Amino acid sequence: MSRQATGTAFVALLRRDFLLAYRRRAELLQPLVFLLVVVTLFPLGVGPSPNLLASIAPGVIWIAALLATVLSLDSLFRSDFEDGTLEQMVLSGQSLALIALARTVAHWLVAGLPIVLLSPLLAMWMNLPDEGLAILVESLIIGTPVLSLIGAIGGALTVSLKRGGQLLSLLVFPLYVPLLILATSAVSSAVVDLPYTGQLGLMTAGLIASLTLAPFATAAALKLSLN
Amino acid sequence: MNPIYLFFHKTGSPPWFYKYSGKLIPWLWAIFLGLTVYGLYLGLVVAPADYQQGESVRIMYLHVPSAWMSMMIYGLMAIMGIIALVWRIRIMEVLVISSAPVGAAFTAMALITGSLWGRPTWGTYWVWDARLTSELVLLFLYFGVILLYNAFDEPRKAARAASLMSIVGAVNLPIIYFSVEWWNTLHQGSSMGSEGPGIHPSMLLPLLLMATATKFFYGANLLSRARLLLLKQDHRKRWVQDVLSKESN
Amino acid sequence: MSHTPFILAAYLISGVILFWAAMAPVINKRSLLRQLKARKTRMEKSQ
Repeated sequence: MSRQATGTAFVALLRRDFLLAYRRRAELLQPLVFLLVVVTLFPLGVGPSPNLLASIAPGVIWIAALLATVLSLDSLFRSDFEDGTLEQMVLSGQSLALIALARTVAHWLVAGLPIVLLSPLLAMWMNLPDEGLAILVESLIIGTPVLSLIGAIGGALTVSLKRGGQLLSLLVFPLYVPLLILATSAVSSAVVDLPYTGQLGLMTAGLIASLTLAPFATAAALKLSLN
Repeated sequence: MNPIYLFFHKTGSPPWFYKYSGKLIPWLWAIFLGLTVYGLYLGLVVAPADYQQGESVRIMYLHVPSAWMSMMIYGLMAIMGIIALVWRIRIMEVLVISSAPVGAAFTAMALITGSLWGRPTWGTYWVWDARLTSELVLLFLYFGVILLYNAFDEPRKAARAASLMSIVGAVNLPIIYFSVEWWNTLHQGSSMGSEGPGIHPSMLLPLLLMATATKFFYGANLLSRARLLLLKQDHRKRWVQDVLSKESN
Repeated sequence: MSHTPFILAAYLISGVILFWAAMAPVINKRSLLRQLKARKTRMEKSQ
């Protein structure tokens, strides 16, 4: 395939995914509403003490982001799998990893980016000090693409299963642990004026690694699920 | 033909594998029992109690080998998984999925013995220290592989999915371990020492014996489970019918 | 605090876990062979 054809295919896939997403906008709002609701539950559950909320804020917000992402991952490949489009994509001769990457990018723009945009609201609810907000947003910008990339592997592995959704979360949560640790540490450190660039640096390294490796694993998983 | 190549080619054949693993298994069990009895004798009777931790250190002879096995088995699953996926060797798929429950058992054992070691020594059943936490995440990785395998209808597809998941998990495992270890140093509550400055030789030998013993346990159990899986998957084939008539006599 | 109950519990639980791990394929194999044999005799009878 020529370089031009690959690029065109990538753009075409993205465009298609956006069109489909736009048609299902209500469905895409669900994980985001979930995000808001889950964060709201914490003050209700542990009490509204500002200091307590502030101390758990980075963790709570990030965990809510994980949960919301996993919810949106289940349908990542499912409808294309069910109507045969996925099979056509595999047969098309285009690099399957590229197709997987296109789908992942679309997922992040539609599901991950809104989390980033909502995070200031969440930070306010959880009483996160201002020093932490910028780093929270930064950590989410770096981290949510990784959530999409690694989550796509799980989504591809479970797409042919009827109740794949729950299993997907179980598969993917252990893999998210390092990200969670680094991100929450970065935000907590920023709040108390300790260095946080190391954590963000490692997260960026993780992003680059997932960007180069995950699409191939996702492609292998898709091929597997289709056979 | 090259004998090594021939050997590997033969092990790929289910009836051959079934027959010869059946001969190997009793020996593996025998060695396991021998090492365990001797190791536990040295560890429980001969070796002294620890200077700082007292008698509870005797749990170490269970906890450390099982923790080592939990990680070794996952690593092996990943390697076998790569071979299974790249070369489509069915026996490797069988070995991957047969290893998972054994690995999970060792992980659970490591967690529980660690917990019971912690209570008398450091005052609490559970603590989010680096090792226990990573072990717990590892247990979840094992559960994920096992559940993923069981979710598929078709056995070979299931095994390939499980293999891929093991590989992905194994790649992440060092990252998970280091991130948890680092996280733990951040949130260091009381200092959770490890086994101390160094291990006394009278304790080292039983530890190594138990560590070796667990490897033979894994070998025997793995082959046992692999044979069962082959029987199940091939139950319509002639070689299973032959086994059936042979083993009923 | 005596350490003995913890040591005993650790060894006991480990024993149970390993015993279960070792026995599960043996028991399952026996029942599988039984099932297959039953099916075989049923097929032979119906012929």
